[in-house]
Amino acid sequence: MPKAAASSPQADRDLLVRAASGDQEAIAGLYDRYGSVLYAVAYRVAGQRADAEDAVVEAFAQAWRDASRFEASRGSVAGWLTMIARSRALDIVRARTRRDRITASASSREPLGAPAMGNWRADPVDSYEDTERSQHVKAALQTLSPPQRQAIEMAFFEGLSQSEIAERLAEPLGTIKTRVRLGMQKLRETLRPFFFERGP
Amino acid sequence: MTHSESESLRELAAAYALGALGPEETRAFEDLLGRSPEIQRDVAEYREVAALLGLGAGEGVPSADLRARVLATPVRARDTSTPRRGWGSSLRWLAVAAGLAALTIMGERIVSLGREVRQRDAVLAQRDSALTSQQQELAERQALLDAVLDPEVRLFQLTSSGDPEPGVQLFWNQRRNQAIVNAYRLKPVPPGRAYQLWFIQNGKPVPSVTFTPTNGSARLTGIPVPTGGKLSAAAITVEPSSGSAQPTSPIVLSGPLDKS
Repeated sequence: MPKAAASSPQADRDLLVRAASGDQEAIAGLYDRYGSVLYAVAYRVAGQRADAEDAVVEAFAQAWRDASRFEASRGSVAGWLTMIARSRALDIVRARTRRDRITASASSREPLGAPAMGNWRADPVDSYEDTERSQHVKAALQTLSPPQRQAIEMAFFEGLSQSEIAERLAEPLGTIKTRVRLGMQKLRETLRPFFFERGP
Repeated sequence: MTHSESESLRELAAAYALGALGPEETRAFEDLLGRSPEIQRDVAEYREVAALLGLGAGEGVPSADLRARVLATPVRARDTSTPRRGWGSSLRWLAVAAGLAALTIMGERIVSLGREVRQRDAVLAQRDSALTSQQQELAERQALLDAVLDPEVRLFQLTSSGDPEPGVQLFWNQRRNQAIVNAYRLKPVPPGRAYQLWFIQNGKPVPSVTFTPTNGSARLTGIPVPTGGKLSAAAITVEPSSGSAQPTSPIVLSGPLDKS
């Protein structure tokens, strides 16, 4: 799969508009740029391949449907697509959790594989190709304190609000807010050269 | 909204980009976001960070047919059903070896049904989320109603001339020293400007919240009312979005506050 490179903001927006009108070349173009990024997020949230792929398909379908709602002033196409994929993956995980609660027998359905969240390393077959960008992201995450990293990951990959994180970790809400803010500030500075869109 | 409240909200930009704010904080932050290009830039950058977070896991690669599924998904379809895989090939196989194909079709059907269940569950989850949001809104409305119907609350009217005539209802809970404002038929304010509420205490204006109307209306709750001096009136002026310490423009609405 082609790696997502730093792209022209205008080119992405043009592709999005064309994709929303059914232009297959534009759809393929956006998938080739960001499909692997969306899959990585969805996989991290859902913890298993089939659900992650469903989330990516649903995310792109929603993107074409909601293209007119995209606001360039509030972020890049890549950021917007990523948030949609995260939401769809969280929906799938929540649905799976509910279904698992009410279904007694596990033998008559597809194997579920890893638990809902956090165990994305459970499938040894899956290995993500190392890109320069992902290496830098890993390194940047390692510069955060473990509590900062934990708070950010619980928020983004588990879909928890800061209040919910505070409750789950039995920490003051203000402490969680500070960890999220300072951690994200640090990542912002460190990762700016690797943003999908670099400035206006 | 005071300057310190704006600054406090601004600190939530990173959490907003991560989707980690509760419904009330999200509404307040989005209200501020719509008026601040600077905060929009913050959010845009934090969303870039969020987009990169998945790569930090460094594991997982999509299957080869995911691209084909994305390309085959109908555009603009309200139903986000994903294409079912393998029917065509199963049928061709049927022509060659019917018995084995039957098994294949059954397997495909099971996978397909599993996928449909997941999709329907995802739709249910979205509806759950919408229901939660509506319940939250209902709870807020009930809280507002309870606050307005408190026996300690007195209603004051700020008026102005104009066609149509704008107005502000100020519900003052004199025990709690808090107010609720319901504004209507207000004219839009220019970009970077907002309406600001003032209490006139001992003959001097005391700054209070700023707000921008939506479709001419605004509703503000939990406004602190100054204590320690006689309040004679309340007034509204148009000020910079961050608010002013002293009025810098003519009064657009005003009314007496008779505490007796």
